[in-house]
Amino acid sequence: MRPRAARPPDLALQQPAPRAQPPETLRSVWRSPVSVALAPELWMGVRVPEQLLEQLAVRAQRFTPRVSLAPPDGLLLEVRGSLHLFDGVEGLLEALARECTDLAVQPAISLAPTPLAALVGARLETPLVFTDRARLVGQLAPVPLEALRWPPDTLARLARMGVRTIGQALRLPRAGFARRFGPEQLAQLDRLTGRSPDLREHFRPRERFRGRCDLSYELESHGGIRAALEPLWVDLGKFLAARQCAVTHLECWLRHRHSPPSRCILRLAAPEANVERLEQLLSERLAALSLPEAVRSCELRSGYPIRGVSISQPLWQPGTHGGDGAVEAAELIDRLRARLGPEAIHGLQTLDDHRPERSSAAASCGASAASCGAPGIQPAVVRTRRPSAMSRVGRDAQNVSRTLRRPLWLLSQPRLLAERDGMPRRRGPLRLCGDVERIETGWWEEGEIGRDYYAAYDAHGVLLWIFRERGGPHRWFLHGFFG
Amino acid sequence: MSNVEWARLLEHPAIWRGRSVARTESLATGFAALDARLPGGGWPRSALIEILVARFGVGELYLLLPVLATLTSGSTARWSAWIAPPLEPYAPALAAHGISLPHVLIVRADPVHRLRSTPKSSNRSGRSGVSTSDPTLWAFEQALGSGACDAAMAWLRRPRAQAIRRLQLAAERGRALGVLFRPFSAARESSHASLRIALEPVTGGIRATILKSRGGLPGSVDIATGD
Repeated sequence: MRPRAARPPDLALQQPAPRAQPPETLRSVWRSPVSVALAPELWMGVRVPEQLLEQLAVRAQRFTPRVSLAPPDGLLLEVRGSLHLFDGVEGLLEALARECTDLAVQPAISLAPTPLAALVGARLETPLVFTDRARLVGQLAPVPLEALRWPPDTLARLARMGVRTIGQALRLPRAGFARRFGPEQLAQLDRLTGRSPDLREHFRPRERFRGRCDLSYELESHGGIRAALEPLWVDLGKFLAARQCAVTHLECWLRHRHSPPSRCILRLAAPEANVERLEQLLSERLAALSLPEAVRSCELRSGYPIRGVSISQPLWQPGTHGGDGAVEAAELIDRLRARLGPEAIHGLQTLDDHRPERSSAAASCGASAASCGAPGIQPAVVRTRRPSAMSRVGRDAQNVSRTLRRPLWLLSQPRLLAERDGMPRRRGPLRLCGDVERIETGWWEEGEIGRDYYAAYDAHGVLLWIFRERGGPHRWFLHGFFG
Repeated sequence: MSNVEWARLLEHPAIWRGRSVARTESLATGFAALDARLPGGGWPRSALIEILVARFGVGELYLLLPVLATLTSGSTARWSAWIAPPLEPYAPALAAHGISLPHVLIVRADPVHRLRSTPKSSNRSGRSGVSTSDPTLWAFEQALGSGACDAAMAWLRRPRAQAIRRLQLAAERGRALGVLFRPFSAARESSHASLRIALEPVTGGIRATILKSRGGLPGSVDIATGD
């Protein structure tokens, strides 16, 4: 690109660039015809608040395809190729300043022939403009080393040697520098000065699927809603297939005339790319949704897609040879959860406790069902309370429960039994059988128990597990069924 | 043709001979007397069976413990689903009877959601077929037909004959043993289940009366519960 005719040819650098805040002053700096025409690359470094980084990156994509993030607060744009489209540096800066005003940020902007130098320039109190590759090292020389954001102890060691600026660091012998401060630091200096190439990953915005279908009529029935969603599913299928992605989160919004929109949220145990299955699951959810009034528009939103989910089928049918049904297991869990609610499905586990009501508990299941070999229920919580003593007691408890009779069904709350002459009754007198078992434990915490357990037949031949309190009024309770 | 060849020919699954059932895969019940009575020498591998009890807790679950232990302990074991059990199954007792707890799946199908949708509207999505009014029935059919379960048990009040037929088909499709617990009063109704057993307590055990068994003989067996 040719510098504008009106400008004087290649001017020397303007060493201390003024503050970047008002675009007016910025422009005065860059009005000078920097020798960008000759540079193979021209990087613009922008320092913005961390939380706005990604937003600005998305907006900056209209200036150049080569946008990359330098977390936490740096944004790099390679603008060499875009200059002629935006009327030179000046026009580009103006456009960028407009984007920044939209986001209500005041960025610090610098220009340099290497990305790292642009970043360093933007990090300074007064952003620098490095115009010329040939003069880059000289320009960088007075910049304090802090701008490179090296580890504090490295900087402290360098400071003790009297090395405080980039120029001083560059003058140190290379081999010794690498040995004493690490090869990564040396490599950074090389990239800073353009001695070695600086390859940066391009920013790619995260995208989510969002499809909306406005209806020219009102829908009342669930069947109609499902039909209206049909084209959105097709779109979602294309979206996922093109990116080879899967989703774990899906929302369906149904808008009404007066009421706030009804939302139907689907969360999956494992990433799912199969749209048919997603549709099926969401339909279950929709069927359970009660709508306040007729639907005027439907919208489908996905969560962030997850990459690299391979879609494969098992070799064996479940239930034959090596087929363990792991895939079907995850599907089944998802389907049941979609309809019955997430807490309706659980596993079982034993806990180390002698108290009957505390030795059985619900266990989680599902999340890793697809990845485990066997259809998996995660062994839920590792109990860390009282590690040594408790685990020994726990093992004893398990061994004991192997030898003792325990009912297959347990009531969560023992049920009080009627009494006549000190003997328990339940639809007639109970017939005690077998030995009595005393369980007296839990004295170290809440929930101490002291009970004498019996097995007893009722009048209908049902075997019950009952107990009598040791202390107090010696009441009888029903605690379980042997089934 | 020699006898051996005849015998082999008659073993072909497509040939059905009156009372000796064609070779269906079966699972030992763990009770020799009962095995001898049942066609194929045990519980059918993929079918729906009905267990009718006069009162909850007479020993119906005890009858199934051995087969559940066998099914959950294999290296390729799938789930054993408990659909809407009336009480909380007690994990230590199940473990003591050899049931592998990681393969136990409890499904609570309490009708918490008031469904507004008409049954017609939800029949369109291919697999969820049974009318949606009863979540227990729906969950049971899903578990049986999914191929993720080796066994599924459900406690249902009044399933309709048509629903039982669907469950039977789902069990065949998913290669699962479906067990349906029903009150004894249901014995009068007809059912598509391939095996129906009524249980009543007797001294020292339970008496299992086979009401219907596809290709087997009706009769009663006494099983000691080991008191």
